[in-house]
Amino acid sequence: MNHPFNYLTLMQFCWSCCSIIGFSIRMNLRGIKVLFIALGAGLNWGTYLVILHYSKSLLLSVFLSTLLVCIYCEIVARMVHTPVSVFVTCVIIPLVPGSSLFYAMRSFLEGDRVQASHHIAYVFLIGVTIAMAIAVVSSFTLLGKRIARSAAAAGDQFDVADLMDKDNKK
Amino acid sequence: MSKIEIKEASDVILEVGRILLASGSTTNRVETMMLKVANCFGYPKTHAFVTPTGIFLTVSDGKSEHRTQIYRVESRQMNLGKITAVSSLIDAMVKAHCDTSQGKMSISKLKAELYRVDHTRNWPTWVQIFAGGATSGFFCLLYGGSWLEFAVAYAVGVLVSLSVYLLGKLRLTLYLANLVGAMLIVLFTKMFDVWVPYIKIDNIIIGGIMLLVPGLAMVNAIRDTMSGDLVSGMAKAVEAIFNAVAIATGTGVMFKIWTLLGGA
Repeated sequence: MNHPFNYLTLMQFCWSCCSIIGFSIRMNLRGIKVLFIALGAGLNWGTYLVILHYSKSLLLSVFLSTLLVCIYCEIVARMVHTPVSVFVTCVIIPLVPGSSLFYAMRSFLEGDRVQASHHIAYVFLIGVTIAMAIAVVSSFTLLGKRIARSAAAAGDQFDVADLMDKDNKK
Repeated sequence: MSKIEIKEASDVILEVGRILLASGSTTNRVETMMLKVANCFGYPKTHAFVTPTGIFLTVSDGKSEHRTQIYRVESRQMNLGKITAVSSLIDAMVKAHCDTSQGKMSISKLKAELYRVDHTRNWPTWVQIFAGGATSGFFCLLYGGSWLEFAVAYAVGVLVSLSVYLLGKLRLTLYLANLVGAMLIVLFTKMFDVWVPYIKIDNIIIGGIMLLVPGLAMVNAIRDTMSGDLVSGMAKAVEAIFNAVAIATGTGVMFKIWTLLGGA
């Protein structure tokens, strides 16, 4: 059992999917996009586990799996005509460090300052790592859009009024 | 072709912005959508400045007419379904009526559609509450809980979703709602712990906390900052941090109260 592709990872994948189906229904989403969001969330947690197994580095695996899943969101969200931020919001939820937050509070109440600050550090590190991964993908998307816009159009995008004026003259 | 009255146009544009902002969209998306609608109505020199709590809008056709409005958005509730509905509505409208220059969108139709989107719910409330339970239960399994703990976490999730829904009717601030929500999670879990033997409460509480974590605020903060809206990026980041602190505080306070009352 020295490779991570076993039934345990598959079960974790399924739990992650199911919980995000619940989450997106709670956020009032409906339709085929709920399934794609759930798939993305499962993918996020699954790749996190796989990379964690090979690299033994928590932050690297959080970063890489968020990066991968954000790229997935940018592609799939456009296919199902949904804002990308809606997808990303639901999909990163399994990695959000809610557990570290809880353990930090509990260690603090037990009087174990060292453990508490250890967990608090993890809350910040994981949070910032997720943020950086999203930032990388979304700024690359913005860059791509800008390049595409300047390549495609000689004029600016919002100048439909000229077109309408020309139509009126006809 | 008769032009749409500037008053009517700016009211509808503002309504689009209001719905998007009140359901927790990124400010960049609100601005883009408002500009798209304005452009479609024949006011291409419109400018919009959106912060998480208000909208500044100047509708102008670039020649003689212009009109400025400010709108303060008081209550914000996360509703990703509404964001999706309004965005796809406007994209479809722009594609069908503006890019091809076939004619302008009928403003009354857009108004009716917006009203419909604003007043329909995708799911009945009880489905959403049970879905909250499922979220909490499956997160409990994800972090290594047993099936018995899954059942307890499901019950806790349903109870907490129900109470957050009822608290929402009191129009508490988001900070206070999260604080009370986190307190209730610990309270319900501790009560189940008294009745149900052989459960570890850690995973159940974590499952409950995942219902409240400020994922939307965090994602919005990053995406806004990246698209250059520094004001709203900062505001959303502070919101996310405050909510996380509220959740931690609520958990801690309830643990302490339970201990002081003589519980284990």
